[in-house]
Amino acid sequence: MAEKSFTLQVPDSELEYLKKKLELTRFPDELEGAGWEYGAPLVDIKRLVTRWKDGFNWRASEDHINSFPQFTRDIELEGHGTLNIHYIHKRSELGDNAIPLLFVHGWPGHFMEVSKILPLLTAVSPDQPSFHVVALSLPGYGFSDAARLPGFSSAEKFAEVGHKLMLALGYKEYVTQAGDWGYTITRKMQVMYGGTHVKAWHTNFSPLDPPQITKQPWHYLKWLVTPLTERDRAGFARTRWFRTEGYGYFLEQSTQPQTLGYSVADSPVGLLAWIYEKLVVWTDDYPWTDDEVLEWVSIYWFSKAGPAASLRIYYDASKAGELGNNVPRTNVPYGLSYFPKEIIYAPKAWARMIGNVVLEVDHNAGGHFAAHEQPELLAGDVKKMFGVGGPAYGVVPGKNGYAIGE
Amino acid sequence: MSEQPFKVSIPDSELDFLRKKLELTRFPDELDEAGWDYGVPLTDVKRLVARWKDGFDWRANEAAINALPQFTRDIEVDGHGKLNIHYVHSKSEAQNAIPLLYVHGWPGHFLEATKLLPLLTSADSDSPVFHVVVPSLPGYGFSETTKKKGFAASQYAEVSHKLMLSLGYTEYVTVGGDWGYWITRRIQHLYPDHAKAWHTTYPRGNAPQLTSNPIIWLRHLLTPYTQRDREGLKRSSDFVEKGRGYNHIQSTKPQTLGYSLADSPAGLLAWIYEKLVLWTDNYPWSDDEVLTWVSIYWFSRAGPAASIRIYYEITAAKDQLDTPGAKLSNPFGVSFFPKELFAPPISWAHTRGNLVFKSVHDRGGHFSAYEVPELLASDVRRFFGKGGPAFGVVHGKDGSPSN
Repeated sequence: MAEKSFTLQVPDSELEYLKKKLELTRFPDELEGAGWEYGAPLVDIKRLVTRWKDGFNWRASEDHINSFPQFTRDIELEGHGTLNIHYIHKRSELGDNAIPLLFVHGWPGHFMEVSKILPLLTAVSPDQPSFHVVALSLPGYGFSDAARLPGFSSAEKFAEVGHKLMLALGYKEYVTQAGDWGYTITRKMQVMYGGTHVKAWHTNFSPLDPPQITKQPWHYLKWLVTPLTERDRAGFARTRWFRTEGYGYFLEQSTQPQTLGYSVADSPVGLLAWIYEKLVVWTDDYPWTDDEVLEWVSIYWFSKAGPAASLRIYYDASKAGELGNNVPRTNVPYGLSYFPKEIIYAPKAWARMIGNVVLEVDHNAGGHFAAHEQPELLAGDVKKMFGVGGPAYGVVPGKNGYAIGE
Repeated sequence: MSEQPFKVSIPDSELDFLRKKLELTRFPDELDEAGWDYGVPLTDVKRLVARWKDGFDWRANEAAINALPQFTRDIEVDGHGKLNIHYVHSKSEAQNAIPLLYVHGWPGHFLEATKLLPLLTSADSDSPVFHVVVPSLPGYGFSETTKKKGFAASQYAEVSHKLMLSLGYTEYVTVGGDWGYWITRRIQHLYPDHAKAWHTTYPRGNAPQLTSNPIIWLRHLLTPYTQRDREGLKRSSDFVEKGRGYNHIQSTKPQTLGYSLADSPAGLLAWIYEKLVLWTDNYPWSDDEVLTWVSIYWFSRAGPAASIRIYYEITAAKDQLDTPGAKLSNPFGVSFFPKELFAPPISWAHTRGNLVFKSVHDRGGHFSAYEVPELLASDVRRFFGKGGPAFGVVHGKDGSPSN
């Protein structure tokens, strides 16, 4: 199916069903003084459920979401058949000179993570490059179909979907920005379609393993003699926390996503807690409002494929060996933003091992959901990378992001 | 409160609430041709939920459970106050029957010992008989749970030990698998003069180390692995790689998971059913058997979320559960079942205690008391019976049926 305009309108029956479910919520007990130690606190979850049931205005959220131009179209996935893909597509008023940019979310993110940086990137001004922004819902997320076959929720398959979407929109040459699974997916994209199509990539996530003596001997030796900076120490401490205390969701989702899926599909409070925990512990003291959280989680609850489908990328990507440093190095210009509360830290040297790094920016605030937490900082880095004088200025031939004559 | 007889009696309002929840179930999608690869298949869960909603007769199963002699009593646990503990106390007719404490794990519960009871409390002339005590651990079945942090291995050991004392059993023996292994092991550390011998089906242990078990280490070095050993090691490593997601989340964020398990019967069902199938040796579960099992969790006194906190507490306590150097000297017996989760070489069990009894089976899995009760009961009888290595460990109670 060719491109169709999309307006989010969850049926009334779905809102009523959710309300019925929320009214029947049964809460677990909690130990005295548990705080956040054992997981999301009961007081937070009870408050959020009460709000979700009465007070939270989903239709207002829908209006907010619908202020972004959305579409759906069929994308053919080789060996699988078509997937109907949902996406935001906002063209810059600059016109043809704007740089096409694909934003790829992760889990538990979604297409609306782009909402704050989108106006910053599409703005037209002599002082900054301007972008056409495309933000898809990955298969199994938001209002896209889910892949139906085993193995087709991998980074490689999602890379194919993202690339074909850009081609379908007439963007033969483009750049990408991503974090979380979007990192893994866009990393694949620049390997599969780099140079010819993907002209540059930018990420705010760099989940790399240390160099190994057998695989990257030179980097390994260099790493051995490099003293740790304060930033390194803090980053490694947080990574250690993530991999010991924060890793349960990853292990379950990458081994038994269907088993977990019964819970998150059937229990709004279960889904809420599962996601809310990440929204809080993965961010840098971001001041979530209850309605912000509920809008975020509602996108999962009301998603086209249901919340369980979103988990399968963990299984398929792990099984396909797509994590870690397992990627050939290309020459595609690569820019990174480093936020202090990101959940996995890798020193800059490691990213330089796997990519042609042309931009590195350190920040003092922000975490895993950088586009949502620190949109000015993240958009600023992207503009710096592609703007006049930047290391990736003019990577897309004929689309330097500025009006003709500038 | 001293001992009160107990009968399971779930209020009608709870049955109605469950039915309402089941009627409102929303199922996830599923991949074509997924089988069991991604987790529990949708056909199984749909079928079980449909049965649970209409057809499964909880009251009939409740009545069957209530044929068991059940009680409750308050047990004081240091730092946690009085906890009201539910237990089965099945006595033999013989005066000098051996007091035996059976400790379950997760996702087990008191009912998993049901089939053992007739086999252990009465016997033919030559086999020993037992008085069997099967508590619901705090947070499971119909026992209260603690309100305070830090209820770890020593606390589970304490409450179990004190239960035996309160029943007049100053000396007793133990049988346990899963968390029951760790708890009865802790009982050996804390109360070796009371728990005179111990038996397990879950002999968790590391490879012998030169420093701590030099002789076993040497023997292990020189003895080639048998086919069984190899298969067991592979099974263990597969479990670590693919089967431990639940363990990790329950050990780190039990509250976050708990919202799902407390709120979604289908979610709880899938979470537990996966283990009932994957951890057993092709046990032919009937739907009603599964539903009774899961209903114990759904209707539990503390709610299903409480049961998983044991993973967090014992991990957080960094309880030195694996203490290869510890000299536990009481007679220790192990039954090896092929489909147990961890199936290390049998020789490694020597590092866990004073191993004087070994029994190797060719069928049975993690829930051996439920899957192959006659095999487990036979091992327990041989371990404690006349001629066995733990015969007569309890003074004046050697289990001889006549008297």
